[in-house]
Amino acid sequence: MKTQSKGFVVVASKNQNFYTYAINLIESVKDYYPEAQVTLVTEEHFLDGREDIADTVLFCDGHYRAKLTGMSMTPYDITMYIDADMECEHEDIAKVWDEMGDYDLVFHELTEERGKYYAIREFNVDGKKEAYTLCGGVCLYRSENPLVKEFMEDWDELYRRQYANAWRPEGFDKDVWDNDLKHFDQTTLWWLTHRVEKYKDLKIGFFADDIRWNYFTQYGYLGINSKEGKPPILRHYSGCLKKDVPIV
Amino acid sequence: MSRTWLDNAFWETPKKQILNAISEEVNGNKTKRQVHQLNKINEDGTENEIFNEVVAFLGEDKIDESSKKRHEKKQSEAELEKQKKLEHERSRKLEQLFEYKLETFEIVEIKESKNRLLKSKLRRSKSIPEVNLYAMMIVKETLEDENTK
Repeated sequence: MKTQSKGFVVVASKNQNFYTYAINLIESVKDYYPEAQVTLVTEEHFLDGREDIADTVLFCDGHYRAKLTGMSMTPYDITMYIDADMECEHEDIAKVWDEMGDYDLVFHELTEERGKYYAIREFNVDGKKEAYTLCGGVCLYRSENPLVKEFMEDWDELYRRQYANAWRPEGFDKDVWDNDLKHFDQTTLWWLTHRVEKYKDLKIGFFADDIRWNYFTQYGYLGINSKEGKPPILRHYSGCLKKDVPIV
Repeated sequence: MSRTWLDNAFWETPKKQILNAISEEVNGNKTKRQVHQLNKINEDGTENEIFNEVVAFLGEDKIDESSKKRHEKKQSEAELEKQKKLEHERSRKLEQLFEYKLETFEIVEIKESKNRLLKSKLRRSKSIPEVNLYAMMIVKETLEDENTK
């Protein structure tokens, strides 16, 4: 029987800062899980030698959501994607593969309580209230499943068309779409998981004690903590970093 | 129409000189509730009749009991608020520390260092002085390596 390959994918595109964040993230994962296999997907002109920390380096274009391209390029059978602006701070990172269970895709849940720090969570489609529930900051997925691989490719392709105004589904409020939804890969994710027939049988779940796997620093502002009282495994600095300002 | 008093009245001061109470008057289908802050002694030195009415209606023990409950609730709320503020402050400091570490990792000697152990120690540092300490160790090691070449 073939052994499943398991590894992490980290993507850094558009902005040099993301390369620095990505290197820090990969090093932090290896601090706690030295055997971890990590693929860095980035732009060639960002490389400065530090990419040696990654086991594999692949190249993407400079799109600011090239994370989706990176997710579809994974060389592993089981993949854990992590946003570059995160840091690993717990050895339980090595247990991530146990979270796969029978699922095809595993996410961090975007709940109402946590939604305070997201740009948008609820929106109307055909006059009915809908909400993002899947947060794409981290995603564990069964990339060996051809349907999951196709899902990742569709997510990337459809998002690019959405962002470029080449695809716009019916039923959304125009202003909300233009101002809040169009820019988000979460919108495409919602569409694929709620409206596309071929993906309806994908088994989508959440990490057990999911907050540990994508602990936004702002959660601390509200005192939101792990339900098992355990420390974060991956901390997300998304809201506080000045991504467009050079680090030095 | 008769006036009754809700049983959540409480002493505003430890010496029981000011009482906070809510009266209730039922008139047909209408119920009127009013909050009272009552001094035991009026400005002219006489006893406040409404104050005495509440104490007589509820009993001093009952008011003592609800005052104690209220005090405990307020203390617990204040403690929770204090914890929240601390948590907020801790998170903010953590964000600043993360940015500081990223800047530190951009120092050429640290950026190019292959000493994974010290770099890991730097990344796990809990404060800026600790970051500085490990940063100095990495730079010192690089300079020593250069001198021995």
